[in-house]
Amino acid sequence: MERDEVLSRLTALDFMAVDLALFLDTHPDNKDAIEIYNEILREANMVREIYEEKFGPLCSYRSYSNPKYFEWIDNPWPWQECFNYKLKGEVC
Amino acid sequence: MWIYEKKLEFPVKIKRKNPALAKLIITQYGGPDGELGAALRYLSQRFSMITPQAKAVLNDIGISCSKCSASEVFFLPGVSRQISKSV
Repeated sequence: MERDEVLSRLTALDFMAVDLALFLDTHPDNKDAIEIYNEILREANMVREIYEEKFGPLCSYRSYSNPKYFEWIDNPWPWQECFNYKLKGEVC
Repeated sequence: MWIYEKKLEFPVKIKRKNPALAKLIITQYGGPDGELGAALRYLSQRFSMITPQAKAVLNDIGISCSKCSASEVFFLPGVSRQISKSV
């Protein structure tokens, strides 16, 4: 799978999870929301694993490293243009 | 306590550069109206909350504000110069 695809899917899933978590903070008994939240997390964890295996670590102290070289330090970093994927259609 | 992931929280696309707007954003970065200040206020106030809901909300919003202000830093002149140099 292409890096852009995986990264944009992971970004979307994480964003959904954060948003739902904020909702659940004030509605902790909402079982429907919790179910969706857990589902999103499951998928996000899978996508995160795929991304990290193919494209390198996302976290400096929680992601497994290549035994020969600490890839974490490598370019590109998120503030560099080449890091990010193109948005569909590009009209923003 | 904090986890940094090497990815943006949401995609950023600047359709048209606007130096006047960038200037405005820079002046709002620090100081009482800035996101950074707000983040620290949320994170400090959570300690005096009583209900778990209140603690959770202040905690999570404080973290979100910290993330946003960390992205805002890219607007600062020194950083944006570095960005335009690197590819």
